[in-house]
Amino acid sequence: MEATGSVKVPDGKLVRVTATYEETIETVRITGDFFLEPPEARADLEAAIQGLSADASEGEIAAAVETVDAELIGFGPADLAAATREALE
Amino acid sequence: MTVTIVDEGTYSEPMHHALDEVILDRLNDGEIGPVLRFWYREGPAVPLGRFQAYEDEVAVDYVDSRSVDVVRRITGGGAMYVEPGDVITYSMYLPREDVPADVEESYEVLDEWVIDGLRAVGLDVAHEPLNDITHPEGKIGGSAQLRSEHAVLHHTTMSYDLDIEAMLSALRIGEEKVSDKAVRSAEKRVAVMREHIDADREEVIESLKETFAETYGGEPGSLDEETIETARRLAQSKFSTDEWNKRL
Repeated sequence: MEATGSVKVPDGKLVRVTATYEETIETVRITGDFFLEPPEARADLEAAIQGLSADASEGEIAAAVETVDAELIGFGPADLAAATREALE
Repeated sequence: MTVTIVDEGTYSEPMHHALDEVILDRLNDGEIGPVLRFWYREGPAVPLGRFQAYEDEVAVDYVDSRSVDVVRRITGGGAMYVEPGDVITYSMYLPREDVPADVEESYEVLDEWVIDGLRAVGLDVAHEPLNDITHPEGKIGGSAQLRSEHAVLHHTTMSYDLDIEAMLSALRIGEEKVSDKAVRSAEKRVAVMREHIDADREEVIESLKETFAETYGGEPGSLDEETIETARRLAQSKFSTDEWNKRL
């Protein structure tokens, strides 16, 4: 399955997650008009979500995102988790 | 800190983005000093945010048929539609130690001279977090940053004027039924300087240069040949390629 979810952060940015998944999340692509320092960390955020169960809760996804050493600007781990969850529903 | 103010040089869209990367790198490496650079474009373009998906943002048929150059920035943020005489774009390249560490604060501080320069020509503008410059009628411009170890790029594009129909044709935001209603709501969110002041675009740029020099100190100057040559190669090898521009 491939699906997309997106979150528009109030007074912030748009975060879109495209995921392929069966029982686990196989691939993740994160796009949007957010800022990220360093920019290369986008791949790390994607890697942190890949491999999680497709049933993972928003809290579990956000916790995985928080392990990445990056500054998320205009959005946060919870927004990324919500967009991922929306893609998986 | 004396900043070289570069108010010259008409380049292709890929070249402008290559200059951003090269000047930031060379400042980071201590090879050159800080720079403020105004952009002069050759044609219509869509600078795309670093993390945006090309096909989500760009009306591909339109930009291909009108030769609108779509180039992915090295900074995050959103896509814009720009035409040479309509926008004012500048890039600041500053030592990291001169920029507040807190990102939100840094946007506000680095916008201050611009707010002053626009107010000096009669525009009622303010900084709006995170990265907007707004007028009571809507957004006038937006900024984006990239930080390297020792240097910060902060660039901003503002609307002096805007062909709103061309913008809605080039960007997919206009696609959701290009009705008059959609055009009106987009018009409401975007404000253009020309409708609110008598000053022409060049006078606005002059005012900006004055307030910049008062704030940071600055001397008019040019980019060195090595910077330009390195950027020319990078414009070719990166910013003109689908591999970069359509990577997402």
